[in-house]
Amino acid sequence: MKPLVLALEQEPDQRLDLSPLCPHLLEGKSAKEIAEIELQTTREKVTVGDLFHIRAGSAQTIRFEGGSTRLDNIGFEMKSGEIVVEGDCGKSVGRNLSGGNLIVAGDAGPFAGSCMSGGRLEIWGDAGDFLGAPLEGEMEGMSGGLLILRGSAGARAGDRLRRGTILIEGSAGDYPGSRMIAGTLILLGECGVLPGYLMRRGTIVLANPPALAPTFVDCGVHSLAFASVFSRLLEPESRAAAKLLAGPLNRFAGDMAALGKGEILYPA
Amino acid sequence: MVEARIDGKSASIEAAAERSAEILSRARLPVIAGLGTDIAGARGAILLAERLRGAYDHMQSDKIFTNLDVNRQAGLMCTTPNEARHRADVLVFIGKDLTRIWPQLVERLAPGEIPMFDLPHEPRKIVWIAPGRSAAELKGIAVETLDSSDLHATLGALRARVADKPITAAKGAKRKIDEVAEILKKARFGVAIWGEELLDRLAIEMLHGLILDLNKSTRFSGLPLGADANSTGVTQASGWMTGVPMRTSFGRGYPEHDTWRFDANRMIESGEADAALWISAYGQKAPDWKKQVPLVALVPPQTRFFQEPQVLVEVGCPGIDHDGAEFSRELGTIVARKASHPSDAPSVAAIINRIAQQIGGDA
Repeated sequence: MKPLVLALEQEPDQRLDLSPLCPHLLEGKSAKEIAEIELQTTREKVTVGDLFHIRAGSAQTIRFEGGSTRLDNIGFEMKSGEIVVEGDCGKSVGRNLSGGNLIVAGDAGPFAGSCMSGGRLEIWGDAGDFLGAPLEGEMEGMSGGLLILRGSAGARAGDRLRRGTILIEGSAGDYPGSRMIAGTLILLGECGVLPGYLMRRGTIVLANPPALAPTFVDCGVHSLAFASVFSRLLEPESRAAAKLLAGPLNRFAGDMAALGKGEILYPA
Repeated sequence: MVEARIDGKSASIEAAAERSAEILSRARLPVIAGLGTDIAGARGAILLAERLRGAYDHMQSDKIFTNLDVNRQAGLMCTTPNEARHRADVLVFIGKDLTRIWPQLVERLAPGEIPMFDLPHEPRKIVWIAPGRSAAELKGIAVETLDSSDLHATLGALRARVADKPITAAKGAKRKIDEVAEILKKARFGVAIWGEELLDRLAIEMLHGLILDLNKSTRFSGLPLGADANSTGVTQASGWMTGVPMRTSFGRGYPEHDTWRFDANRMIESGEADAALWISAYGQKAPDWKKQVPLVALVPPQTRFFQEPQVLVEVGCPGIDHDGAEFSRELGTIVARKASHPSDAPSVAAIINRIAQQIGGDA
């Protein structure tokens, strides 16, 4: 079936909330009804029709032609289907994502994949700070699904991660995996200072570890059975990640300041 | 004589208010920034933001949110300076900037005195983590210092040792940390004191975790020094008016709080905010942004600007030129202050009221 195509006609002059443009919310709506949906975040009204050229199709796949760093909340609470953004997006892309496939060809703003609980989010460009992290006042971050970042992440990627897997092929800023509750964070590029600060449980795998905090203690070199199973699972998504997990790994347990049941792994 | 200027030329208050109303109500998304004012000024500013469907932010938001974000994501246990002075048998100072942030700190906490309400009546134990040269300010008082090149790592190691967990450190460094951990564990009522300039949210969350761990076997609390320009008072006013702190927008007709989207500097630099009302009644402070944007400024005389504001009204300082209610660091609550040198310099609330009248109705 033909996808629903929304071609961006000009750079918006205010930040827009694209949370109404989700497959399950647009199902069965005509192009005219979609054109009337309001997206503004200021007193100046902006509708989908004002900003996008609409080519009708099945809302199970939505394709944004062109993007902007002012388009927030793309794929908010998405449950099924597919969204492809052929460009950049703003804050909180894929927030509360629970199913389906969300692909961003360009860069993502801060809080990409915030609190996602299922599904798959793939970003081909870079992402801002707080990848997968909770917003103001929330206690838990990402709690399921697969988040793949082909570019680099800002500071505190995977903050308060609780379940699910984050795979970063580029580098990450300072404090990746801060306050992790559980889950897995894999980082193939360079790593900023103090990974796993305040982590309670969970696994961080680093290709290029920096100096670790004194609250991580050496547990020796291991060939972990689980790592090789996980390696095969990751093979279709990232061959480099699969290779990293296939070999023997140094294991450091921490953060001893918090619960201390987490681990940082890196190649022996 | 009340001074007001439009495009650099002297003007009446009426004309300035009218021109301000025109600039702010014509904008798509005006932002009220700075917000260094007393409670009445903050109330007026937030009501004006609601009427304009604009956003508001405070110049010290970054420092406020280092504590507030920990408070609302992990919890924070705090006490007042007087409670610390009267009851604490252990004081833990953190960072070299404490007396710069609060010059009366030593006088207020009286670390050299025996705490009035501590039963054994013994001299307090003082610990200073990462003191730089600050520990010398406590003349004649024994201070256990713990130097640190990385506060995040040091606070983490200390918390781990308090909980009897292993750490990776050289023998000497570990022994030193263990000594401090023993002092903390033996405290009957300890208080940790920190500023928001050297500690970020993660360091404060680690420190708070340490305080929580200590509370399993004794009593321990925290004393954040906070920031100036009545930032804590404005945060509280915002809380009781909208339910959320500053960095809030009324763009959609209801208060929407977002510390990233409604950061005034980011909004101006990105071009999302297209007019600004800058308020700084406590000091001659101009905005940090570099972008040219239609600007209305309520500031003390002789404030220097990067760009001349379209409208400028000189205002008085709360507690000096006029009476005002503001947050008191000493007491940890909002207090009423009488004008020490009453003058006819107008209050921020009075000018905002004039601007709001031009938009229609009282703000």
